[in-house]
Amino acid sequence: MSAATKKGLAHVQELYLDRTQRIRELKTEGKKVIGYLCIYPVTEMMTALDLIPYRVLGDMHESITKADTYLPTVVCPFLRSCLDLGLKGKYDFLDGMVTTHICDVGSSLSGIWRYTVKTPFHYNIDTPHTTHDTSLNQIKGVLKAFQTAMETFAGKKITEANLISAIKKHNEQRALVRELYQLKKPDPPLISGAETLKTIKAIQSLPVDEGNTLLREVISEIKIRVNKPVKKNARLLIWGSIIDDIPMIEMIESLDANVVMDDTCVGSRAFFNDVAITPDPIDGLAQHYLIDIKCPRTFRTRDFYAVKKNYMDDLTSRFSYLLDYARDWKANGVILQSVRYCDTHGYEVPQLRDYFKAMDVPSIYLEHDYTVGALAPMKTRVQGFLEIIS
Amino acid sequence: MTQEVKTRPLNRLQSMYALRAEVDKMYQAGGEAEAEGKPVAWVMLEGWANAILNAMDIITVFPENYSSLCAAQKLAGPFLERSETEGYPTHLCGYARACVGYSARMVELNGQIPPEAPAGGMPRPNLLVASAEVCDARFKWFQSLGRYFDAPVWTLESPSPHARENLIPGTYERNTQFLINEIKQFVTFLEKVTGKKMEWDKLGFTGDGTNKINQLRWEINQLRKARPGPMHTRDFWSVMSAALYRGAADPTVIVDGHQKMYDEVKYRVDHSIAAINRPEKYRLSFEGLAPWHSLSFLDSLADRGWNFVCESSYSPGRPFQVDLSGVTDPVERYVRKRYRSLASVIDQEFGPEEASQVKEEIMREGSSNRLRTRHIREYQCDGVVLHVLLSCRSASSGLTLFADQLLDMYKVPSLIIEGDIIDTSLFNPVESLKKAEAFEDTMDHYRKVRKDLGMQW
Repeated sequence: MSAATKKGLAHVQELYLDRTQRIRELKTEGKKVIGYLCIYPVTEMMTALDLIPYRVLGDMHESITKADTYLPTVVCPFLRSCLDLGLKGKYDFLDGMVTTHICDVGSSLSGIWRYTVKTPFHYNIDTPHTTHDTSLNQIKGVLKAFQTAMETFAGKKITEANLISAIKKHNEQRALVRELYQLKKPDPPLISGAETLKTIKAIQSLPVDEGNTLLREVISEIKIRVNKPVKKNARLLIWGSIIDDIPMIEMIESLDANVVMDDTCVGSRAFFNDVAITPDPIDGLAQHYLIDIKCPRTFRTRDFYAVKKNYMDDLTSRFSYLLDYARDWKANGVILQSVRYCDTHGYEVPQLRDYFKAMDVPSIYLEHDYTVGALAPMKTRVQGFLEIIS
Repeated sequence: MTQEVKTRPLNRLQSMYALRAEVDKMYQAGGEAEAEGKPVAWVMLEGWANAILNAMDIITVFPENYSSLCAAQKLAGPFLERSETEGYPTHLCGYARACVGYSARMVELNGQIPPEAPAGGMPRPNLLVASAEVCDARFKWFQSLGRYFDAPVWTLESPSPHARENLIPGTYERNTQFLINEIKQFVTFLEKVTGKKMEWDKLGFTGDGTNKINQLRWEINQLRKARPGPMHTRDFWSVMSAALYRGAADPTVIVDGHQKMYDEVKYRVDHSIAAINRPEKYRLSFEGLAPWHSLSFLDSLADRGWNFVCESSYSPGRPFQVDLSGVTDPVERYVRKRYRSLASVIDQEFGPEEASQVKEEIMREGSSNRLRTRHIREYQCDGVVLHVLLSCRSASSGLTLFADQLLDMYKVPSLIIEGDIIDTSLFNPVESLKKAEAFEDTMDHYRKVRKDLGMQW
């Protein structure tokens, strides 16, 4: 059992200050920890083998001093930060590292990590780029090969029962996160954007069962606590590339705005669809990890065989879930944000702005360089945006 | 007193000009196709799609190449600026941004080719064929063109396993089937778009044409190992468009052009004629994509005796034979003639003992320095220029590690030059030339180190 004595949001805060707290305890108990980058590695297979999935993140407070030897400065600073931490030994506790083709730099980083950080086990999942039928079929084979590699590493087989059990645990986590996000619907929301981010970060630093326990504690606490966010004029939806620490959200929430919903990858993105339990569990996992997760790294369209393309239909098929978020969470503005040099999100921005304009939802685009120092000029822009939407 | 007449630094291949002219014809054919009402596809490089599209009488043009053409003629600037006003971040691919600007102009002109467009411009597309090969921009860019055109988009899938996973038994066959099935789906889509059936015999012709072109390109590159280097990277870049972006050109014409180039390069090798009109002081590889807007920068380096004898991008793979006697399916034949396993590449590139070491290295380290850097050894380079691009993550992200591996493996130093493929404002030729001059001392030093270590060059 965990030595942590705190519960709920206090435990979240503990983990925010030291993400490795619980993982290091588990390591002394002989557990093996598998790092994973982004939300595409299949964590269910790790859980099924009694391995602990641990999300690899950067540290925007720490200067990048080692990674420049291996990655040029014209690439994603978040990924440079991840590599930097790896090179500094801050992920030395990992027994394995699993990556996928999340983007060009993510793919390069995988190879560089393997070559320089030398985590004992390393595997890159070649996730296809489209949702074609052939791609869905392909990823099933790719995931079976990944399963074999994980089994060899763990020295045991994944039984169908174990895999289904793991899928159910992760689905339970997804359901609990969705329940947490329900608490952001009231006005004012019962939980702030910064607290939400810290909670997601915390559960991605724990075994799934312990993460689920923590989520239940947080949800119960939030429902009854007195000290909650105050009502503000703006309720915002935030979309974009990774935000793995709170300064940007805190900056926004220090103004006349509450962040009530997000579509980011240390946010709702990994949790808003369950993995279907299918006769062959790989089928459900393939569907989830290729089709259901909505990240710009995958090319998707309404009808691949359409002979004419209607722009608004295309935008609607790709982005209507965001409009649903805005409506359901009563957001009156959208912040589109991306870390600099993120190409997959960058191409999406003009199209998203077209879509939200057509839907009469105000939006603004912010680009940042994954440093706290970059937030000051952004604050002025957000302030201006809030004045417009208010 | 006699006045010395200085020759141009580069000794260009005469056979290059005819092949280069084929690219202009490709754009001309695009314009004619539109006038005749034939379907026009905008396509990412040759890849898998071009031969298939040509076999279905779809005229192909290549925006990636067109953007580089605009940059080479210093006409890309206004298109880049336009893409910025359209809301595209400035760090995105320069090819894509120039194309977005061009597309926005086209819409502004009710579908007409912008009058400022060089080489006759690109006609409005009926179809966009994106690609999952090489980089994310190749499909994100065409997806975003939905803002400007109602043309349907197909992203042609392609597997991209990392080296270690590539060597796992079963990977090659699974990926081969993936390609076969994907291409069949693509053909179904094309038949729907065009309303006509695929003529499989034609695919055999266009596909085999591509293979013959690649074979000749590879053979020419083998000749380039000679001392002095007979063909400069600039000539390679000038003709690669005819191979990779040949459009609907008759492949036999392109094959013939490459045969002439082979003959010319062979003549140079036999007669020790160099690609530069100066003594070959340094042999180099250019790593990354070309600075299309400032190609003459390489002339300045040639003037100092720098001969770029090879390059990392767009190089053809070694030709290979495969027994297809039992294969009747035309798509499977098409794929198996061109797609090969990493294991067989290693077996062909290295002797049995070294091939085994390379595979072991990959299984242990995830990649192989020897595999990645072998061209430096084969072409006996003294140095490497790494072109780090602000607007291309795919071509830039592995360069610094490569420099590290290269120095470790062969004691060959690298010069990092920052710039861009399209945007001239991101490149400083004066500063780059100064860095290059200083780099000569480094190359001299490591030449001595290699000699002391008993290395081949």
